[in-house]
Amino acid sequence: MTALRLAWLYFRIGSMNELQYRANFLIQLLQSAVSVVTALVVLKVVYSYTEALNGWSQPELLVVMGIQILLGGVIRTTIQPNMQRLMEEVRDGKLDFALTKPADAQVLVSVREVRIWRAVDIVAGSVVVAYGVSGLDRSVGAGDALLFAALLLVGAVTIYCFWLVIATLAFWIVDVWQIIELFDGVYHTGRWPVSIYPLWLRIGVTFIVPIAFAITVPAEALTSRLEWSTVALAVGFSAALFVVTRYWWRFGLRRYSGASA
Amino acid sequence: MNAEAGRVRSLLDFYVTRARTQIQVQFQYRAATYFWLIGMLAEPIVYLVVWTTIAEQQGGSVQGITTGEFAAYYIVWTLVRNMNIVFTPYGWEWRIREGQLSAALLRPLHPLHDDIAGFAGWKPVVIALWLPIAAALWVAFDPVLDPTLLEVGVFSLAIWGAYLIRTMFLSTLGMITFWTTRVSAIFELAIAVELLLSGRLVPLPLMPDWAEDVAAVLPFQWSFYFPIVALTGDLSRGELLGGLAAQLLWILALTGLTLLVWRFAIRRYSAVGN
Amino acid sequence: MATVRVLGLTKTFAVPEREAGLRAAAVSLFRRTTREVRAVDRISFEIGPGEVVGFLGPNGAGKTTTLKMLSGLLYPSSGEATVLGHVPSRRERDFLRQITFVMGNRNQLQWDLPALDSFELNRAIYRIPREDFTRLRDELIELLEIGDLVRKPVRQLSLGERMKVEIVGSLLHRPRVLFLDEPTIGLDVTMQKRIRSFVAEYNRRYDATVLLTSHYMADVEALCRRVIVIHHGEILFDGELARLGDRFAAWKTIAVDLDDGAGDFSAYGDVVERDAGRVKLRVPREETARVTARLLAEQEVQDLTVEDPPIEDVIEMVFAQEANER
Repeated sequence: MTALRLAWLYFRIGSMNELQYRANFLIQLLQSAVSVVTALVVLKVVYSYTEALNGWSQPELLVVMGIQILLGGVIRTTIQPNMQRLMEEVRDGKLDFALTKPADAQVLVSVREVRIWRAVDIVAGSVVVAYGVSGLDRSVGAGDALLFAALLLVGAVTIYCFWLVIATLAFWIVDVWQIIELFDGVYHTGRWPVSIYPLWLRIGVTFIVPIAFAITVPAEALTSRLEWSTVALAVGFSAALFVVTRYWWRFGLRRYSGASA
Repeated sequence: MNAEAGRVRSLLDFYVTRARTQIQVQFQYRAATYFWLIGMLAEPIVYLVVWTTIAEQQGGSVQGITTGEFAAYYIVWTLVRNMNIVFTPYGWEWRIREGQLSAALLRPLHPLHDDIAGFAGWKPVVIALWLPIAAALWVAFDPVLDPTLLEVGVFSLAIWGAYLIRTMFLSTLGMITFWTTRVSAIFELAIAVELLLSGRLVPLPLMPDWAEDVAAVLPFQWSFYFPIVALTGDLSRGELLGGLAAQLLWILALTGLTLLVWRFAIRRYSAVGN
Repeated sequence: MATVRVLGLTKTFAVPEREAGLRAAAVSLFRRTTREVRAVDRISFEIGPGEVVGFLGPNGAGKTTTLKMLSGLLYPSSGEATVLGHVPSRRERDFLRQITFVMGNRNQLQWDLPALDSFELNRAIYRIPREDFTRLRDELIELLEIGDLVRKPVRQLSLGERMKVEIVGSLLHRPRVLFLDEPTIGLDVTMQKRIRSFVAEYNRRYDATVLLTSHYMADVEALCRRVIVIHHGEILFDGELARLGDRFAAWKTIAVDLDDGAGDFSAYGDVVERDAGRVKLRVPREETARVTARLLAEQEVQDLTVEDPPIEDVIEMVFAQEANER
């Protein structure tokens, strides 16, 4: 499939570029370490006062935290840099370079940028998840693990679609990059299971900024809380969002090309 | 004597003009500021929810702090956090790289004045935009807040004290940029310590005892925990005024440090160029 | 009393040197080899009040470094410099209030606000009395014709318009010494002329001393009677622009209009141009009179002119010569 080949190509080039900057790797290592340690300390403090938070035990909370860090790494490695570049290019009128290439525009603008050193977070997150899983009461079977991986992928796709929908707004609103400030803040909510939040917030982080699907649902897979209705909702929502995003993107693109013609 | 009075007057004139200029600029970016404000809310809301969940599980309070008091803590937190935002070491890196520093050095005014006045001008705009958000949070989380007049007065001063403390601290860190481009490493470490020992993530009394001891010798709690608890807590008169005094001491100490480092930094910059 | 006095001014930089390759990179972690670069090498000159002096030289010659030392941005490695009686590197407030440094292409005004607001800020920074400020500001605005530009946010102005408001902003405190570093770079020809005439007018009205560096010969020719030519950190020439040719140009150009342009003119000198009825010859300076006489005698000359070589060529030749001698 051309999309995958393109993605691999840009990944190779981007990585080669960034691998030169070893100092950036060390800085990233430090940042990730600091971030993880801080989070763990907070968790420790929380656990000095209670056994379980809303029914989630300490290892289970570690799983949630690990997934948030892991997914954060995925977002910072690929999704965010690409979408930011897209919004910048629309603002500066430089998108045409991407549009005149013989590849599907959506694929191109989604895979061009790679910040390979951010992948440290993916590793750090995985380690935290593994650590959390090791402390669980019930061990995780192969089926659960597979379901986890699949739901993680679905979650990543959901977040990608969210970003692209916002980025496409750039065709109409030049200053849409300011909305991105919002995402970084709201992503904080993903550190804890969504069930602890008041209803209005729960709805906000599930359907408006779809973080709950991306983090809590895979976590539920690993902690034996998953109900099939949730899986259906997650997959269904993600699939629908993907289709809508595609149409929305093409609509925006048509307008962009029409306007500049 | 007259010359000194004239200097002070013109310095004041500069501060007013600079702050006014910043307000005008910042006002143009209201939308961006709003989005950022809303995004910034997630952090305190998350911790608010976590602690009130625990409190409810424990029968209404944790270490004596009730759910209503947690709500008050974190809502006031959002204002104090905004007052805390100052010029970061990354800003110093940018300013040196873009040649803005040379321009600043050619002016007959210490660049620190420009930073303090500029960011101070930003605050009124943020506060104005914050008020409706605070009202919404009030309705959503039902805090318990009943401050005395003294507490309000001390709070109003303490938030500016917090601003100055953090400005001087980060300014000193920022000047490390003159010697190394890897200032981000030091900055990240300092921020991590600050996150844990300032009352930002966790109200200080909830941290383990050893942490509270360490925090006592650091300036961080004076730019975060103290202003918040001055308004929301039950500090005695002595504690309130003593807190302001502590803030003043930290401001003087850190200002002295910044000015000292600045002298060395300029020597280095002028020797090496950019 | 000289406004600017420079004696044996030197600036050396330690530039880290490293060869390519992984091994060299590893070695450089432990042992840093540096090379000493003399950006400015024992230069001396004096500039009097109200003079407009142009600093000419190729990239890296040391022009900007000299200006930076004279404005206090860089400490000299050795030597002395005094501007308006102050030592620049001490960066005394009284000194800073009397100078201005304009760097082409650098923005010092607030990006999002109309220039007028930035002017107000400068008034506060330089402590300009309100009346003097308003009067000078309006004068300068009128002089550069930027009345309608100063109310628009700076980011909406074109490059040339931005340069104009930047220059006004930098002169509001009526500095006595102006350091202009490539002020017309990137501007179109009309704008360049505008800026040049403005600087000349400012110099005339307020008796300011102007030190100017530029790549554009036209800037220097239009504004400066005196030039200082710098190359490799050393002063090659310090004197009137008109004399530059005398000192360095070893030749002149003779242009002859003839009935019949054919034929061999190489006996007279180097033929640099040849047209239907026109021949241009380059002859050594000392030969000019003799060759002219010969041409008039031996050829059917319609018209004959003797020209100095263009300054650009002279400068180029100077540097080429310098390069050869190193």
